Amino acid sequence: MTTHKHIHLSVILLLFVCTASMAQNTRQSLLLNLGYYNDNNYMQYLKATAKAKINGKFQVIPGVPVSFYIAQVADENLLGKAVTDVYGEAALPIPAMARTLWNSGPKQTFLAVSTPYAGYESAQTDLDITKAKLKIDTAAGRKIIVTLVQLQDSTWTAVKGADVKVAVKRLGGDLNAGETPTYTTDSLGSVNVDFQRENLPGDASGHLVLIAKVEDNDVCGNLSKEYTVPWGVPSSYKTSFNERTLYARRGKSPVWLEIMGYSIVAVVWIVLFYLMGQIFKIKRMGRQPFNG
Amino acid sequence: MKKTDTSRREFIAGALLAGAAFAGCSGKGNPFEENAADMVKPSGEKVKLLSVDGEVIEVDKAFLKPVPHLPPVSNEEARIGIKGKKFVMVIDLSRCKSLKKCQEACDHMHHVHPGQNWIKVYPMQDGDQTAQYWQPTTCMHCDEPPCVKVCPVDATFKRQDGIVLIDSERCIGCRFCMAACPYSTRVFNWGDPGLPKQIADQPYSCETSVPQKKGTVGKCDFCPDMTRKGELPHCVSACPNGVFFFGDMLEDSVTNGSETFRFSELVRDKAGYRLMEELGTKPSVYYLPPVNRNFPFKDEEQDADDKKS
Amino acid sequence: MDNIIKNKIIEDLLPRRFGNKGKLWFGILLVLCITGLVAYARQLSKGLEVTAMRDYVSWGIYISNFVFFVAISLVGSLITAVLRLTDVHWSTPLTRIAEIIAVAAITCAAVIIVVDMGRPDRFYNLFTHGRLQSPIIWDVIVITTYFFISILLLYFPLLPDFRLLLKHNPKGAFSKLYRFLGSFWTNSPGQIKINERAINILVITIIPVAFSIHTVTSWLFATTYRPGWDSTNFGAYFISGAFLVGAGGVLMAMYAFRRAYNLEKYITGQHFDKMGRIVVMLALLYLYFNINEFLVPAFKMKKAERDYLIGLFAGDFAPLFWFAIVCSMFLPIVILIFKKGRRPLPAFIAGLLVVIGSWFKRYIIVTPTLLHPFLPMRDVPGSYRHYFPTWEEWAIAIGSLAAMLLLITIFARIFPIIPIQETITETEQHDNP
Repeated sequence: MTTHKHIHLSVILLLFVCTASMAQNTRQSLLLNLGYYNDNNYMQYLKATAKAKINGKFQVIPGVPVSFYIAQVADENLLGKAVTDVYGEAALPIPAMARTLWNSGPKQTFLAVSTPYAGYESAQTDLDITKAKLKIDTAAGRKIIVTLVQLQDSTWTAVKGADVKVAVKRLGGDLNAGETPTYTTDSLGSVNVDFQRENLPGDASGHLVLIAKVEDNDVCGNLSKEYTVPWGVPSSYKTSFNERTLYARRGKSPVWLEIMGYSIVAVVWIVLFYLMGQIFKIKRMGRQPFNG
Repeated sequence: MKKTDTSRREFIAGALLAGAAFAGCSGKGNPFEENAADMVKPSGEKVKLLSVDGEVIEVDKAFLKPVPHLPPVSNEEARIGIKGKKFVMVIDLSRCKSLKKCQEACDHMHHVHPGQNWIKVYPMQDGDQTAQYWQPTTCMHCDEPPCVKVCPVDATFKRQDGIVLIDSERCIGCRFCMAACPYSTRVFNWGDPGLPKQIADQPYSCETSVPQKKGTVGKCDFCPDMTRKGELPHCVSACPNGVFFFGDMLEDSVTNGSETFRFSELVRDKAGYRLMEELGTKPSVYYLPPVNRNFPFKDEEQDADDKKS
Repeated sequence: MDNIIKNKIIEDLLPRRFGNKGKLWFGILLVLCITGLVAYARQLSKGLEVTAMRDYVSWGIYISNFVFFVAISLVGSLITAVLRLTDVHWSTPLTRIAEIIAVAAITCAAVIIVVDMGRPDRFYNLFTHGRLQSPIIWDVIVITTYFFISILLLYFPLLPDFRLLLKHNPKGAFSKLYRFLGSFWTNSPGQIKINERAINILVITIIPVAFSIHTVTSWLFATTYRPGWDSTNFGAYFISGAFLVGAGGVLMAMYAFRRAYNLEKYITGQHFDKMGRIVVMLALLYLYFNINEFLVPAFKMKKAERDYLIGLFAGDFAPLFWFAIVCSMFLPIVILIFKKGRRPLPAFIAGLLVVIGSWFKRYIIVTPTLLHPFLPMRDVPGSYRHYFPTWEEWAIAIGSLAAMLLLITIFARIFPIIPIQETITETEQHDNP
């Protein structure tokens, strides 16, 4: 009798463990990455990326709800929520409510927590950021000087050995301003770049926007700073959009075509209307009596 | 004497610019980038954010990065296009392995009907003894587009930024543009495009080419909705080998997301060419010849066909 | 002129009721039209996917049917205009047949082109948003113009006949229609003068317009870059083909009406002889243009054209290509070049061969080019690489041909198919020169 009970119990326990572990296995693990971005020492935002290993390869997961926190995961520290887009990224500009915590010191911690979603268990990640600034200046002979400084206690100190990209801002990408895309800061936290791009089209007045970028730095995250210089040539903007061509829009056909077309149609249809008028003339003539 | 003059001038100019740029940073975008103002219009809705210096700032929602849902562009604006830009694409044939990630991304993001492809990757061999290579072919957005010339109802049109778009609300489905295009780039929605109701009920936008309509023509649109946001078309971002370069010819720069080159230098140094140049269509897509490839050309579909016959 | 002879002419040429054969003919045409309408209803609800057209062969038998209709409609200008202008009188009995074929054909051309549209509900866009730069808009303009000229060219010569019809039977069938259309005709010299001047003006105007409709239709193809279409020859090539198929159609119609209405005295052996010679001349002319169109590119064998030409001469399209050439040109020439061949029945057969061969020739013009694009056919479903029309396409195409025949049949039922007044006038002039 007791052996029976024992067997029953162990079977039940076994089943429980099995289902528990199976429940665990249906929940896949999500890899959450958090990045800090700072544009022009002005606007800053956080970006969380959700990835998971599917069929041995990491793929981005859209639709994951992510909550962003400052300093610790608590309701009063919630900065905001965002959902990952088709590229698996969820971004949140840092809101004004983080002001007091942000101003409390040079270092700051940000956290991102994803809620369980579509079979993925929740994930959490954190990021430590030291406040830093990028400065751009130019010198004679079209030299660009970029300096990276970080806040230590209350002073801004130079950061050496950091990778900085110096480029000209273009649509969708940045064209390296010097010989190579990336430079490393020296002991003063600076890089010196000779501007290489001759006769680069700028805006209508020939201005270019230089951009210095720090990407994925362990200490300060992603920084960028822009600076406008008059080192380009005014862009010549020519378009045939307003010309009369065969491929222009409706009212802009070539003059010769319009003249030809309208005059031929006019001539033929005037004749046709005249002839239709003649029918009525015959009709009128027919009302007069005629013996024939 | 002159040198110091210019340096002082440059310094003053630089300072003025820096000051103005800072003032410009008060939420309206760089005033010297007129194109920015053209491309993204302020929505009027502001949010309170924290600046790096710990100050509270108000930013118009339209200038947040990444840009949230932009208001759709009107039909008139879509027909005129973005001022001061001329979009070009450079495709590096020496890198293409026919992975077709470009096709996947484009088909997915534009909700293209299964069986249709707006980007086609052709196995090419110009002469019997010449190289075999893969050629991803998008719409060429020709500067003298034969398709636009023949459209009877202005349903396909060329904009001032060079992009050729289709207005699926205007198209009468005569398919003359398909006959006229020598690059066979246009596809036709012979039946219902099979979109989920949510997408099919959206108002049509010429710039996203979504939702496609039954009985109308479709094709690659150079993703103007992405370039308005300052992002690259989906095929460019999706290619793992960096085959597609996209940019503005008036900025003389093309990028594949990670590498950026001066467009004029790239095409000149690597002997770029355009397809069927002799037809006089003036395409906006340049190809870099398939030199120095380190992988063999393998056409599995043709091999399978040959085996069958 | 003797009233007896005059009345005999009128009686012979009156429109008659359908006999059993006529009813059967009408019934078959009606059934074919209705089948076409049913197939079109299917196409409207499901879209053009019910056809076999796909992204490569984006134009199929609807367009080749359209070209065929526009071609046949040129017969109006040939018989009515060209022959009238050259002061030929033997063709007078044939003018109305030619005009009604022209009007019926151009009407069905407009119908079939709307059938081919992916969004016929947006048809009005052609008028509200039309672009003058597009050859399709040119086609719409010239076809509309030609339609109206042909209607007028049908109406003016018909006007004197209403009086005769009404006099003969004031209360007969359609007398209300005759009254509305022409009861004011009194045959006074003033009216006759205006009428003749109007016809002369129309006859001169219709020739450039007729040349335009088929030239502009040929430009739907010639303004593209494709091999087989990118030819400077296309305007003249299409027009010569149009005259040929129109003349062949007239040969058929002449025989059919002659048999159906016992018109042997009016459509005589001489008419077949003369029309037969015209068809031989037109067939030789079209053959000349075909030689230019195919042999010259074959001499060069440009890369883009090579596969296309080989496909036509010796490949997938060879049976159809040679059938079209032999049937529409060689056989009719062989039949009609001999006097015995220019008798009514052989001439009818020659005309039938011309029409059938020409229909397939239009198909050869449209489809093979589309299957030889510049770039390889890839990244498309396998079905895109072939084209054979579906039952819906056949039903609609055959339905449109039946509709054209139906329009002609209905016209012949209502109006005299041979101009009565003109025949009387000509007989008088012949007897009293």
